[in-house]
Amino acid sequence: MYRYYYTAKLSAIEKTNGGIIYLLPDILIKAFTLIPLVYLWRVVMSSGAEVGMTMSQMMSYTYASALLSEMLVVKTAATGWLSEGTLLKLYGRPLSVLGQLSALTVGRWVPMLLLFSLPMALVAPVFGISLMPASVWFFPSLLLCISLGFAVDCFFACLSIKLRNMSWLIDRIRMAIIALFSGTVIPIRLLPFGLDQWMRFQPFAALGGSPLSIFVGAADVRSTIFMQLVWNVVLWPLALLAFKKSQEGMVSYGG
Amino acid sequence: MTPIRFLKLLGIYAKIDLAWLVRDTKYALAAMSADMISNLSAVSAVFLIAIRFDGIGGMSSDEVLFMMAYSTLVTGLFIMFGNNNNIHISRVIGRGQLEHMFIQPVPLHVQLMTCGFGPFTGGGNFLVGMGLLFISLQRLSLQVTPMWVLALCSYLFATMTIIVARAYLVSTIAFYSPVAAEEISTVAIEGTWMLSTFPLSGMPRAIQLSLITILPEGLMAWFPAMALLGRPPLLGACYPLIFAMLLAAVAAVAFKKGMKYYVTKGSNRYLPYGFRR
Repeated sequence: MYRYYYTAKLSAIEKTNGGIIYLLPDILIKAFTLIPLVYLWRVVMSSGAEVGMTMSQMMSYTYASALLSEMLVVKTAATGWLSEGTLLKLYGRPLSVLGQLSALTVGRWVPMLLLFSLPMALVAPVFGISLMPASVWFFPSLLLCISLGFAVDCFFACLSIKLRNMSWLIDRIRMAIIALFSGTVIPIRLLPFGLDQWMRFQPFAALGGSPLSIFVGAADVRSTIFMQLVWNVVLWPLALLAFKKSQEGMVSYGG
Repeated sequence: MTPIRFLKLLGIYAKIDLAWLVRDTKYALAAMSADMISNLSAVSAVFLIAIRFDGIGGMSSDEVLFMMAYSTLVTGLFIMFGNNNNIHISRVIGRGQLEHMFIQPVPLHVQLMTCGFGPFTGGGNFLVGMGLLFISLQRLSLQVTPMWVLALCSYLFATMTIIVARAYLVSTIAFYSPVAAEEISTVAIEGTWMLSTFPLSGMPRAIQLSLITILPEGLMAWFPAMALLGRPPLLGACYPLIFAMLLAAVAAVAFKKGMKYYVTKGSNRYLPYGFRR
């Protein structure tokens, strides 16, 4: 485990190699997006429509979603690195490739968690937002979400291998699908036309939307975690099998 | 550079775009679908909220649809004219590719204006935007006069100018720091894309003002849409046009200064054997 820990640590340090100042544009944009988003939901929720969530729950949901965004929708460097040829270097190390990708991804979360999420969490009371989880089951749910996120990412990496490096296309489609279907942008229960009834059973719903709903106390903990467990059990073996089969087909032209 | 020559250049790039579509149809169609799915996902998220809550901040769901149509048209124009990193200009500067353009017998600004033209592979979003515009106008029963169409074109031009000017302004950093700032235009363009789809109606005035001045995302769809609906917010109907002109002027000055530095110092991105550092 130490080897993965140091891989993650290296990855975290690497992200700040050029100096923290280069992370500043990303931090500012995240902050500038979050604040209007909070007010947007405030405006929307003040219409008084009955949606099964209170305004304070919605505020906490939106805020927590922004603070934990990288964990709620996991994105490893696999597809980009495949295109650039960097992925091949992972095969020269005495560690599992997927393990390294996971450790590197977790490491890369750290600077943003420290420089964006932590300060924004501290100022949350200024906006009247509570960041206390409604249930301790939020934490296992978040872990299941992250685990499933890695499995889903693995499928997209395999798709990138299959489609010969269309990493940019895959990235666009993936972000679009996940943004809409995972409930991280709009809680699934808020979707109109009864979409919420069938959307909650698809695998992306077990990503960000599930821990967030538990966090604000707007979901049935037992059924939500059950669905997350089911999708983890179903998708992980398939992801590993798909990755094993896809590895032989890797082609890279370099960046 | 005559207008005829300019149009001919656009024609050449359109032909190249068509050739790519015909030669690699699978990839081209996949690229078009990715663009459309990505944009529709962003705009449908806001539209679904508007339907669920019967409008947002005093805008009806049909008005929000109109705003999303405008946003899709902007995305369509952006993709149609920015197919070749000519708007993501920090990539070109950062990768040391700007000098490739210096040896062409066409002025640099003309190359940059024409080289990204891809009407065949990049026109999907624009067509979807036109469709959404048609539907929203019908639902709103808005009277479309020649003056209104002219206003729409002017706002689209202003919005595009703001996007390009801001991208070029931040990209000047790439002249001085090519490796670190290679992707800075992506941060400036894509990083705030979601924010540009937010209807700002009903939000506190301070938020609205900051989003049409410091971070002009409100000028990407919300302000022009409100103005075209006959309710220009805050600073008057001409504000986006004035802002676009000022931003373009500032960007032009900064870009020229950065380029002067670049042609004096050169780029260190390539190793002697050809690879990028």
